[in-house]
Amino acid sequence: MIRFEHVTKTYKGGITALRDVNADVQKGEFVFLVGPSGSGKSTFLRLLLREEITSEGRIVVAGRDISRLSHWKVPQLRRNIGTIFQDFKLLPSKTVYENVAFAMEVIGRPRSVIRTQVPQVLDLVGLAKKAGRFPTELSGGEQQRVSIARAFVNRPLIILADEPTGNLDPATTVGIMRILDRINRTGTTIVMATHDQRIVDAMRRRVIELDHGQLVRDQARGVYGIGTDVAP
Amino acid sequence: MIARLQYFSRETLISLRRNLLMTLAGILTVAVSLSLFGGILLLSKWVDHGTEVIKGGVRLEVFMTVNATKQQIADVRTNLEADPQVESFRFLDKAAAYEEFKRIFRKNPDLVAAADPESLPTSFRIVPKQAEFTNAIKRRFAPQAGVDDVATPEEALRGLLSATRTARWIFIGLSIVLLVSSLFLIVNTIRLATFARRREIEVMKLVGASNWFVRVPFMAEGLVQGLIGAGLAVAVVVALKIGFDSWFSSPTGFFRDFYVTTSDAVSIAVVVVVLGILIGLVGSLIGLRRFLRV
Ligand SMILES: Nc1ncnc2c1ncn2[C@@H]1O[C@H](COP(=O)(O)OP(=O)(O)OP(=O)(O)O)[C@@H](O)[C@H]1O
Ligand SMILES: [Mg+2]
Repeated sequence: MIRFEHVTKTYKGGITALRDVNADVQKGEFVFLVGPSGSGKSTFLRLLLREEITSEGRIVVAGRDISRLSHWKVPQLRRNIGTIFQDFKLLPSKTVYENVAFAMEVIGRPRSVIRTQVPQVLDLVGLAKKAGRFPTELSGGEQQRVSIARAFVNRPLIILADEPTGNLDPATTVGIMRILDRINRTGTTIVMATHDQRIVDAMRRRVIELDHGQLVRDQARGVYGIGTDVAP
Repeated sequence: MIARLQYFSRETLISLRRNLLMTLAGILTVAVSLSLFGGILLLSKWVDHGTEVIKGGVRLEVFMTVNATKQQIADVRTNLEADPQVESFRFLDKAAAYEEFKRIFRKNPDLVAAADPESLPTSFRIVPKQAEFTNAIKRRFAPQAGVDDVATPEEALRGLLSATRTARWIFIGLSIVLLVSSLFLIVNTIRLATFARRREIEVMKLVGASNWFVRVPFMAEGLVQGLIGAGLAVAVVVALKIGFDSWFSSPTGFFRDFYVTTSDAVSIAVVVVVLGILIGLVGSLIGLRRFLRV
């Protein structure tokens, strides 16, 4: 589903954020991307979204080399990828329902489909009763659930999450992880960058660790860090 | 498809309303500059028709008598060719004279109906090497056999022509300056609109909206401003055309030969609308340039 082949990314300022990274993620996998601040996790995700272009090497997504994707085909790539961010990126002038529907509207989905899909997805994230609220009337955890609903409503092959629980307390985090887990079970590949040791250790999924732009660990059923205590 | 149209019109309206003052400013400058531009074109047409006689550099006309012989006409032609003060000349035969007669007296169909091409005189239109030679040439050709009269254009008409020429360039320059500033205003409105909606744009790009889908509401916004502005300007042009028709309708007045036709007004209106569309689209494209890249 996702393959990094000798990927190097050097930003304009000369900073090399990723250095010769190789990774292969299968369809349906759940991958944690860990590493200290500045190690290149967000860069990894931005390259997948084609917000940035690889300096060397290539990235293959669903059989397509996206490092060579022409400008006008980028939207097509992004329709296959849902995104979740630490700061939610919800539209404050739209209700919960409208925020989710917006993601379908702007790629031209028919209205009848929107009308059936949005309530279903809101139900999945447990917000069916709050469809008419505005984002400012929701807690952080609820806002993040709206953004998950928006990322998932077009049934993408892949969901990329950049520290989705970074602003949330532990109890709320557990709720968010449950939803992501449920989405993952539908066959959606999930790549999640995080600093949250507790959830990585609790879920025991594949862990890719970056350090100064280099892949230093790629472990199935891994834990957050080598030096951390893990309950047996 | 219908859902898309609804989406675009809704988004365009929201954006227009959000930027109401800038939008109005954009529309008004487009309207003023295009009105000025259209008005100048109309006035030029009006003057062109009224000064047809001296247009194209024709300064004097040698009218032959109605039944001048071929030989007499040929003699005058030979003399004109040899005349060192004549820059160029053109011969109007009876058919050409009739065409022009029809055009000049187009408001007087009875007269046109009564006229017979055979009854019209042939003539030579002469451009002297210098304007000062006009009277000398007249004195030389008036007495020749078969020549009925040598007409020189009215001084007043000549003065008017050069005055309107200057005025026309000043006004065209002025309206171009205004057109450019209305373009800048639209660019600015669209920039403000994209800034006001940068979150929406960000989300749209993240979920894979095509670039055109992102752009269309903004282009429509620019287009609406250009079109409404152009519509107002067309109204001004139409009002001016009606005004010209009624203000100078006296059959004996100095401006009796001045007129604008409906087709003049229509073609000017088309130019105005096309310019309005161009200003709107080009303005919004420039305004959008910053975020055209992914
Ligand atoms: N647009 C950019 N231009 C130049 N340098 C950048 C840019 N984005 C990131 N960097 C640099 O690239 C390196 C990796 O940044 P990145 O955001 O990928 O790290 P991260 O692992 O996501 O960090 P964090 O955990 O703090 O989010 C950093 O040194 C950063 O300063
Ligand atoms: Mg980051």
